[in-house]
Amino acid sequence: MKLLTKTSLNQFWLSIIIIVITGIMLLFLLQREVSVEIEEQLEMQAAAIVHEIEAGRPVNSPMIQIISDDSPMLDQPRIFRDTLIFDQLQQKTEGYYYLTDNYIIKGQEYRIRVMTSHIGIDGYSKAIIYIFIIMALLLIICGSVMNYFVNRKIWQPFLTNLQRLKSYSVSSTEQLTLDRSNIHEFEEMNTVLIELAEKARAEYIALKEFTANASHEIQTPLSIIQSGLESISQFELQPEIAGYVVNAKEATSRLSKVNKSLLLLAKLENNDFPDKKKVDLSALLNEQIDRAEDLFSFKGLQLERQITYKEVYSSLFLLEVLISNLLSNIVAHAGQGTQVKISLTDAAMTFENGGEALTFPEGQLFARFGKGTDSNKGNGLGLSIVKQICLANGWEVKYHYADKMHVFKVFF
Amino acid sequence: MKLLFVEDEPVLLQEMQLYFRSLNYTCEHAANFADAAEKVNSYVYDIVVLDITLPDGNGIDLIRDIRTQHLETGILILSARDSLQDKLNGLNMGADDYLTKPFYVEELNARINALYRRKVLKGSSKVVFDDFTIDPESKQLFFDQKALPLTRKEFELLVYFVVNKNRVLSKSSIAEHLWGDHVDQFDNFDTLYAHIKNLRKKLINVSGKDYVKSVYGMGYKFALE
Repeated sequence: MKLLTKTSLNQFWLSIIIIVITGIMLLFLLQREVSVEIEEQLEMQAAAIVHEIEAGRPVNSPMIQIISDDSPMLDQPRIFRDTLIFDQLQQKTEGYYYLTDNYIIKGQEYRIRVMTSHIGIDGYSKAIIYIFIIMALLLIICGSVMNYFVNRKIWQPFLTNLQRLKSYSVSSTEQLTLDRSNIHEFEEMNTVLIELAEKARAEYIALKEFTANASHEIQTPLSIIQSGLESISQFELQPEIAGYVVNAKEATSRLSKVNKSLLLLAKLENNDFPDKKKVDLSALLNEQIDRAEDLFSFKGLQLERQITYKEVYSSLFLLEVLISNLLSNIVAHAGQGTQVKISLTDAAMTFENGGEALTFPEGQLFARFGKGTDSNKGNGLGLSIVKQICLANGWEVKYHYADKMHVFKVFF
Repeated sequence: MKLLFVEDEPVLLQEMQLYFRSLNYTCEHAANFADAAEKVNSYVYDIVVLDITLPDGNGIDLIRDIRTQHLETGILILSARDSLQDKLNGLNMGADDYLTKPFYVEELNARINALYRRKVLKGSSKVVFDDFTIDPESKQLFFDQKALPLTRKEFELLVYFVVNKNRVLSKSSIAEHLWGDHVDQFDNFDTLYAHIKNLRKKLINVSGKDYVKSVYGMGYKFALE
C-alpha cells in the first residue's frame, strides 16, 4: 500500500470514528436536556393545575388526568417517562412524555397526570442531526481529499528522487542529482544519499581500475610465457621436453581463459557494457551456428534450426559470448550422433541436445566451477557466464531435462 | 611491409620482432609514448601495432597522429586490458583491429597480413606458393589456374598456414583462429585434425606434395622451401 493511501485511509477512518462517537454523544445529551426541560414544563403545568384546584375551578383537558378517590393508585410514587399513545385522528401512535405525581390540596389527596407530545422536540432534533451528518460528511470527504493533495505535494520531490535513485547506476559517469525539498527530513536524506552514491561511485571506479590493472598485470606475463613457449616449440625437441612444453602451453592457455572469464564475470556484475545497441539476434545466431557447424557435423550431431527474426537491445559482445558459450556447451556435452535443436522465437531462444542425464544436482549447473569432474571440458565458468549475461540483460535462463534431451532456454 | 611496434614490454617486443624479421618485414619499435609519437610523425608505416597502455601515455591518443600522417596505415591495437570501452574508443578513433593479450604471434601475423592486403594493397593481392594461388577476396584456391574447391574452414586454415609458413603452429593457436577465442579449444582438436587431414589430401591430390607436417605433440607446420 502506498504511504499516501495509508495516511489518507487512516485519516478517513479516524474521522469516521470521532464523528460517530461525538454524534451519539450529541444525540444523548440533546435528549437528556430536552427531557429535563419537558419535566420542568410538566411540573409547572401540574403546579398550575394544583393552583386551579385550590381555587376551586374545575380543570378538564384530554391531556390531564386527575384522580382524587381513595384508590390504591395513590400509594404509587412519582412517575416521569415517555409513552406511546394512539391518535385516532391520525390513525397512528405518537410519542408523549407524561408526569404523574401526588399532591395534597386542602387536606385531600390528588394524583395528577400531565402529558405533552414529543413532536416539537422531534423536529428540532431531526434538523440538528441532519445538519450534523452533512457537516460530518463534508468534514470527512474534504479533509481526506485535502490531506491527499497536500501530502502528494509534500511527497512529490521524494517520489521524483526515488525514481532517479532507481535508475541511477554507480557505473554512470554523472553524479547523482536530487530535487531539493523544503522538508528538513527529506533534505537530510538527500544529503546522505548523495554522499553515499558518491562514495559508491568512487569505490566502483577504484574497483574498475583495479580489475583493469590486475588483468594487465596477469595477461602481460602470460603473453610472455606463451610466446616464449611458442618460440621453444620452433626448435627440434626431444619427445620428453616436447611433452613438458605441450603441457605448459595447455596450462597457460587454460589460465589465460580462466582469467579472462573471471574478468568478464566481474564486469558483468558491475554491468559495465557500454556498447548496447539494437542487434539482429537471428542473424547473429545463424552466423555463430555456421561457424560451429563443422564441429557439430564432426560429432555426427543432427542439427535442426528454427530461427525466426528477432531484434534485441543489448551488447553485441555479450550476445556473442552468450551464444558461443551455449554452442560450446553442446559441442562438449552432446552425445555422439544425437539430435541438436536450436530455435529462436519472439519469446525465447532454445538450445536442445541429446545426452545422458546430469550426474550432479541441477543447481550446480550455473555455479562457478560447478562441476569440474571432467577438467578437459571447459573451465566450469561458461554456464555461469551465460547466467550472468542473461541477468545483465534482464532475461532468464532455465534448464530442464526431458526425453533424453538437455534443454537450455533463454527467456527474453 | 614496414611495421612499427609500440610496446613497452621488452620481452614481448623482442619476440614479435624476431618473428616478423624472419618473415622479411621491416620492423621498427618504440617503447614509450614520446618515442612512438616522434616516429609516427616522421615516417610512414604500413602497419602500426599499438599497445595502448604505455608508461607515459595512452596509445589511443597516437591514432589521430598516425591517421593525419598517412591515411592508409593499418592500425592494430594490442591490449592487455580486455576492456570493451578501450576497444570501442580505439575502433571509434580509427583503429582497424583489436587483439587482446595473451595472443599468438601467428594470429597477429595473420591479422597484419589481412590488414595489409585490405588497406595497402586495396584487396587486389593474391597469395602465391608453388603452383597454388590463393585469392583472399573471393576465398578461392587455384592450382594452375584451376579452381580447387575447399570448405570455408579449410580455406581459412590454408591461409593461416601459408601466412605462417615454416613455423610450428600449436593446435590451440589454429583452433582459436578458426573458432574464435570464446570457444574452448580442447573439445575441438579432433575436428581440427579432420580439417587438416582433408586439406592435406586435397593438396596432395593435385600437386603430389605433402605440405602439412605434423610435429610430435606440438602441432603442425606448413613446410615451403
